[in-house]
Amino acid sequence: MGDLLKDKVAVVTGSGRGIGRGIALLLASEGAKVVVNDLGGSVDGDGDSSTPADEVVNEIKAAGGDAVANYDSVATMDGGENIIKAALDSFGKLDIVVAVAGILRDRMLFNMTEEEWDAVISVHLKGTFTVSKAASIVFRQQRSGRIITFSSTSGLYGNSGQANYGAAKDGIAGFTRAIARDLGRYGVTVNSISPGADSRMTQTVPQSARDIRAASGMQGASAVTPLQLNRDPEDVAPMVAWLVSDEAENVNGHVFHCQGGQISLMNNPAEERTLRKNGRWSVEEIDAMFSGTLGMDMVNPSPPQPPKE
Amino acid sequence: MANYLDGKVAIVTGAGRGIGAGVAKALAGEGAKVIVNDIGAALDGEGSSNTPAEEVVDLIKTAGGEAIANYTDISTMEGGENIVQSAVDTYGKLDIVVTVAGILRDRMIFNMTEQEWDDVIRVHLKGTFTVCKHASILYRQQRSGRIVTFASESGLMGNTGQGNYAAAKNGIAGFTKVAAKDLGRYGATANSICPRADTRMTQSVPDAARQMREDRPQDREEAPKMEMNPDDIGPFVAYLSTDQAANINGQTFLVYGGVITKLSLPRRERTIFKQGRWTLDELKELAPQHLTQGLVNPSPPQAPR
Repeated sequence: MGDLLKDKVAVVTGSGRGIGRGIALLLASEGAKVVVNDLGGSVDGDGDSSTPADEVVNEIKAAGGDAVANYDSVATMDGGENIIKAALDSFGKLDIVVAVAGILRDRMLFNMTEEEWDAVISVHLKGTFTVSKAASIVFRQQRSGRIITFSSTSGLYGNSGQANYGAAKDGIAGFTRAIARDLGRYGVTVNSISPGADSRMTQTVPQSARDIRAASGMQGASAVTPLQLNRDPEDVAPMVAWLVSDEAENVNGHVFHCQGGQISLMNNPAEERTLRKNGRWSVEEIDAMFSGTLGMDMVNPSPPQPPKE
Repeated sequence: MANYLDGKVAIVTGAGRGIGAGVAKALAGEGAKVIVNDIGAALDGEGSSNTPAEEVVDLIKTAGGEAIANYTDISTMEGGENIVQSAVDTYGKLDIVVTVAGILRDRMIFNMTEQEWDDVIRVHLKGTFTVCKHASILYRQQRSGRIVTFASESGLMGNTGQGNYAAAKNGIAGFTKVAAKDLGRYGATANSICPRADTRMTQSVPDAARQMREDRPQDREEAPKMEMNPDDIGPFVAYLSTDQAANINGQTFLVYGGVITKLSLPRRERTIFKQGRWTLDELKELAPQHLTQGLVNPSPPQAPR
């Protein structure tokens, strides 16, 4: 047990399992009182159960920490408010929000249903908004607070079959950068983690999908991490715990990639090459210039394949 | 008039005004037949009117091009399906989709209502999905097609008061990168534009908000002060829609005035690595020394007023 987060109160959504659970355990072991939120649904968002959150609370208490379980859905405004209220009611205040809750409904774009789209956007993206919004009212008044959101390499780089998830996760990265600017002036910081971890969620990606990505010359998000690393979900927690501590008070608006023992600060998209003229381009001019300038070394991440017989 | 897009059929959403109108005119100018889609709403999404789409159609026809107006709300699945169907019904096929439609509802996060969040996400993000999903069914069958979506620097870099807009726009950027991978193998491409232009939308940003943004420490290069005509975006979108651009896929471009910039994918800027899990004592020492050293807080704490 450390005391980096002594007397802090934290909410961790989606903390019944996987990455969220690892964060709840570590924050508690550093002295934070934790609201362990988990709806207890399946990976695709169906069903609910109080067991996962209860088990994490029991684990924390057994280790001498302090925690309460909460089973609200993050995907509604009421749910977001209730989760924040649970922290205030149980522990009298709120210092830290970590928004991990998410589901997966992979499908190629041309087959994706409205339901698959809406469910993923609503849990990840709206679920990050509802909790952050309710917390930001408290944080603004007390002029302090920490928000950690979860984005993904699937959003940063794109993974085949994850149009809904990639949209939600990159949306969260954009949201994070915007509200970091809304809240920084009130002494609050907002940062995002793009985790690499083997959890219940990644296990649902079929090996056939991984094989298709590899065989078609399609770059997977894993292309950024050629190193074979251990990807224990609990490895993500230390950077989160550091970011929510007082030590990181000036780190605001960034995305960090955490996988195993590797932690990276990601840059914002940078200007790579520029074509410039005075006045408006014509299509003909662009056509003449493009391949020798902006198009140099450009790789199609999913090159055309011959039709299957 | 040139002929880079002769025989092509294009849909442009939000084409009644601003950047979308410029794109529709540029595509038609290169010979494409264009579905000019615009619900004709106010900037915040209220109301509807046929006039903006009709005016752009008239402009295109006067210039010798071919176009029809469409007033479908793209933020529903039916809307997305209808608009793709109308391209097929009217012109027999579909080659190009450009999704420009969007609204603005700026608000600081602590005051943002559910309605302000939902409306912006629905029109931008779901509105991009509904049209692209239905187009992608055709593209996969015909093994060709173009998608150009509209992201924003507000999403890539972050702007005060735009939690909803930044989420939607960066969501579109993420969506586009996935669509590029889902569709590239079928000979289709999907790319994204971050535009800078003086339009109805940017005019709505209050001077106070601009001042607040300018007063902040600069963690990024300031945009050059120049005239940014919304019609300047069209030619590059037209180029991405040509057969010549068949291998440009999954990219993001910043476009304004006479400037076209290819943006990089996110990169690791700094990394710390060890075998096994970091301890907090290690991070306390190493993170500020290396990972976060010298980072500028884009919105540093202010004294209470």
